[in-house]
Amino acid sequence: MFGSLFKVYRLATRDYLHEWQMSACFMLGLAAVLGPMMVLFGLKFGIVGAMMDQLIEDPGNREIRPIGSGRFDQTWLESVRGRPDVAFLVPRTRSIAATIELSSTHSSRIVPVELIASAAGDPLLAQDEPLAEGFDRLVLSRSTADKLAVSAGDMIDGSLARRYRGAQERVHLDLSVAAVAPEQAFSRDGAFVSVQLLEALEDFRDGRAVPELGWSGAPVQAERTYPGFRLYARSIDDVAGLREAFADIGVDVHTQVAGIELVKRMDRNLTAIYWAIAIIGLVGFSLSLGASLWANVDRKRKQLSVLRLVGFRTSDIVWFPMVQALYTAVLGWVLAVSIYYLTAWVINNMMAGQVEAGQLVCRLLPVHYAIALGLTCGAAVLAAGLAGMRSARIEPSEGLREI
Amino acid sequence: MSTESSASPDSRHSTIYLMRDVVKNREAKGVAFRLRVPHLHINRGEKIAVIGESGSGKSTLLDMLAFILQPSTAGSFRFRPDDDKEPIDIDACWQSDNLNILGDMRKRHIGYVMQTGGLLPYLSVHDNINLSRSVVGLGRDGTVEHLAEMLGIANQLKKLPDDLSTGERQRVAIGRALAHRPAIVIADEPTASLDPYAAENVMSLFLALAEEFNSTVILATHAWRHIKELGLRRLAHRTTHSQDRKLTETVVHG
Repeated sequence: MFGSLFKVYRLATRDYLHEWQMSACFMLGLAAVLGPMMVLFGLKFGIVGAMMDQLIEDPGNREIRPIGSGRFDQTWLESVRGRPDVAFLVPRTRSIAATIELSSTHSSRIVPVELIASAAGDPLLAQDEPLAEGFDRLVLSRSTADKLAVSAGDMIDGSLARRYRGAQERVHLDLSVAAVAPEQAFSRDGAFVSVQLLEALEDFRDGRAVPELGWSGAPVQAERTYPGFRLYARSIDDVAGLREAFADIGVDVHTQVAGIELVKRMDRNLTAIYWAIAIIGLVGFSLSLGASLWANVDRKRKQLSVLRLVGFRTSDIVWFPMVQALYTAVLGWVLAVSIYYLTAWVINNMMAGQVEAGQLVCRLLPVHYAIALGLTCGAAVLAAGLAGMRSARIEPSEGLREI
Repeated sequence: MSTESSASPDSRHSTIYLMRDVVKNREAKGVAFRLRVPHLHINRGEKIAVIGESGSGKSTLLDMLAFILQPSTAGSFRFRPDDDKEPIDIDACWQSDNLNILGDMRKRHIGYVMQTGGLLPYLSVHDNINLSRSVVGLGRDGTVEHLAEMLGIANQLKKLPDDLSTGERQRVAIGRALAHRPAIVIADEPTASLDPYAAENVMSLFLALAEEFNSTVILATHAWRHIKELGLRRLAHRTTHSQDRKLTETVVHG
């Protein structure tokens, strides 16, 4: 059986090469339809894909912050943290109390910074960097680290003051720089610290005692509430749902829902437009490929009849047009990919100044090439198979009389 | 009925074809055609001529003998390519739609020369001749070269059919039909497209090679005048038309 198939394969190959002009026409016809479709999809995937990537990669788009001040206790925060659509939540103390003055031995500057509550899994910080934890470890923003001329592992001094019972008091903390946050995490002067340290600083400023740090004052209140929080949804698709959930319980929040929705709507619209064009193109492509392969098989009825006459079986003969169709499909695909590469290169170079560095306006993933090849081969085999079956069913005598 | 034979039907075992009451009906453009074969008996080694005007059913008979056209009805249609084996019921093969058996028998036992050669344009002369051998799995043993030498095309083996004259293409077709040493060679007006001199030459070569290869020959031809001198047995035939010319019937027996 395989011997016959191999013979048919060789005959089909020799015929394909012998009729190289006709073969080239079939191949060009296929590439002329497939190439522009790949460029079209590359543009859609490149433009919208980059916007979607930006949306997904920037944690700021998943951030949810309450508008104004509230009173959120630990129990409520824990219940929100337990939701499946919440990736990260950390409480926030009063902004006015969340500041500290930092200095280092490497710099003469005293830098007043904002303090941002942080914890394990903070999306703003690199996940493999050491954490801000306890009373003595913090993560500096890039600008703060630059001003203090310090890097991870350095020790710095933190100081804050309060007026307590008519007297001015100032305390100092020895702080260790656990890491320096990336520029995009926080662009101003700031430091990521543990909730524990933030609470201690707030207590000190409010005149309460912080026994862990040896700071005296009024006794600590029994139950702490927080005026706000910093929350990140698990994905950009969860942001709208969380906003509605907060609205239902009377908590107004600030989100990037509008921006997310704009990009998603653009994706939907462009996808719809692409598919409308692609379906028309696919139908045209399939008809063109099918018609040309069908015509090719019909043209070869005489030769196929001769092959049957000399003893090839019907099941062998069907492979003859199939092999040739596969050649057309694969070579046409290679040509279409070449057309795509050339066009994408021109487009990306033309648009290079208008997009971010490294971003491509027109791009495809390896899986897209594979899908294009699979669809092309599938359509080719189907068309050639149907035509081949029809041809193989004719009586050899019928084909021979057409000579 | 008149018969002239080069090999007498001396024994039952030498019978290669036996047809009884075989009918093939065809219709084209409102005109029906019927080929009837009340009795046909062909012996091994015979050289048979099928003669008749155009449209009289010569090709239809040859196609049935080559198992590429199914009879409409058949009282009996037997084929015995090998004396040591039982005859094969061709009609039963057709009835059971077992076309692969018919195809296998065709490729092993039958060589077919078409009117216009039917060469594959993408194969060289050598590969065209060798095609029938390759299909049955025969290796190289010099047969192709010997045939090419005998047919006068030894210098053309590397050429493609398009580079040959009509006469040369027909010689290649004869070579292909004989290359696998079939028991039967069927030729459908193999010299129709040749000038008389070339036709005579090609026909003589063809019959000589068939003789050398011990093949039975069944030949459709217009060349009446050569039948006797080439030692062919002519099958008797009679063609009639209905009054309204809507039915043509040919009866062949021999």
